[in-house]
Amino acid sequence: MKKIVNIKKTLALFTIFFVSFAFSQAKKPTIMIVPSDVWCNTNGYMMEFDNQGTKVKIPNYKKVFQENMDIKTVISKINTLMAERGFPLKDMESAIKTLEAESAENNLTSSKTGAGIAESPIDKIKKVAKADIIIQLTWETKQVGPKKSVNFILQGIDSYTDKQIAAAQGTGAPSFSAEIPVLLEEAVLAHVDNFNAQLQKHFDDMFENGREIIVRIKKFNGWSGNLEKQYDGQDLSVIIEDWIAKNTVKGRFNTSDATENTMLFEQVRIPLYDSKNRATDARGFLRGLQDYLKNAPYSIPNKLTMKGLGQAVIILGEK
Amino acid sequence: MKKLFTLFILISSLAGFSQAQKKADKATNQWKYEIECAGIGTDGTYLVKVWSYSKNGKIAITQAKKNAVHGIIFKGFSGGERGCNAQKPLTTNPNIESEKEEFFLSFFEEGGKYMKYVSESTDGNIDASDRMKVGKEYKIGVIVSVSKDALRKDLEAAGIIRSLSSGF
Repeated sequence: MKKIVNIKKTLALFTIFFVSFAFSQAKKPTIMIVPSDVWCNTNGYMMEFDNQGTKVKIPNYKKVFQENMDIKTVISKINTLMAERGFPLKDMESAIKTLEAESAENNLTSSKTGAGIAESPIDKIKKVAKADIIIQLTWETKQVGPKKSVNFILQGIDSYTDKQIAAAQGTGAPSFSAEIPVLLEEAVLAHVDNFNAQLQKHFDDMFENGREIIVRIKKFNGWSGNLEKQYDGQDLSVIIEDWIAKNTVKGRFNTSDATENTMLFEQVRIPLYDSKNRATDARGFLRGLQDYLKNAPYSIPNKLTMKGLGQAVIILGEK
Repeated sequence: MKKLFTLFILISSLAGFSQAQKKADKATNQWKYEIECAGIGTDGTYLVKVWSYSKNGKIAITQAKKNAVHGIIFKGFSGGERGCNAQKPLTTNPNIESEKEEFFLSFFEEGGKYMKYVSESTDGNIDASDRMKVGKEYKIGVIVSVSKDALRKDLEAAGIIRSLSSGF
């Protein structure tokens, strides 16, 4: 009887494990289309400001979405095609509006005692329209005599590694009669499949070799220790490197920078799921290192901050 | 006697036709066809020109539909004039044809499911410059429109290719 109960328990555990494994899904990256700097510049959508004597130009995205009809045609067409492939995109225009609304709400929200919403300078800097993958969109209309054509470029950039993960470009067939929106729609139809094929390749690589992230280690000024501090005859930087080597997929990472105050790890391949089989990201991965350093024998208090799915920073010395 | 003779002619011509069809299918499996972009299709479709080979001109024309779907799944196609882009095949696994042999045998059989995604653009009218005699065979170019979005969705549903969002 006891044996049957044990078998039943094992079977139930196996089923739970199998079901959770079969249905666990990796964290889905967000994708957003952004008009490229060169497009904004050639079409007069730049703002200029004085940065301590140096004139700096930055794109004025709000003006782009308020004034340019063609960009709406292209973005909505790409959005429709991507949604059909099960990958609806984040809309930049709406993201900007949401940020503005949230900012206004934060300014007006207060408790009964008069306390406002807490917001550090770093919180303010991070409040921008962002996505895990940015699709930079550029096009240029060319005219030879009465014939018009469109030169079209789509570039998919990983926001954290800054790597181009997909691209498609080309010049459409010249036309006497077609209007620019029609030529643009044709360009989208002609290029989006090749772009998606490369995106698919990137995802396949991610499922096989893990998510590629960037890890930074820094230290607070007030901390007396540094990354050259010795523990059992080993530098702290080597201990951190060993932890990363042990926990990455196939031990794949590059140590791009290492000084007594900072370390930079690039091309760090992390598993898509943690030990509890939950989908994970850069922050989830580095929580392991955070605990490892916080506990004995190192006992280093530290702070973990993140940027989206693919970038995280551990700052040593304080919480 | 006359009836018998007519029956004999009918049977032998049918046998010859099915033999030619088998040869055309073999040519498809051996990648003996060429496929190129023929223009930007309407939303959700590819417009391609397929060059098929057969001793029988009619078979070469009908085989073009099969070759077009076969090419879009396994081969991809080259670009044409300006604005006509090369496209990658729907499948990224080079061994998928042998791995899912059973599925593709029924998919590409005569009157098989492949017919659902394809239509001939020229309605059987072949341009004189698209009909050539190469040795004993005809090389015939037919413009075909393939519903690639529907084809991709069905292949994804059948588990033949991965969807862009699978795993997330």
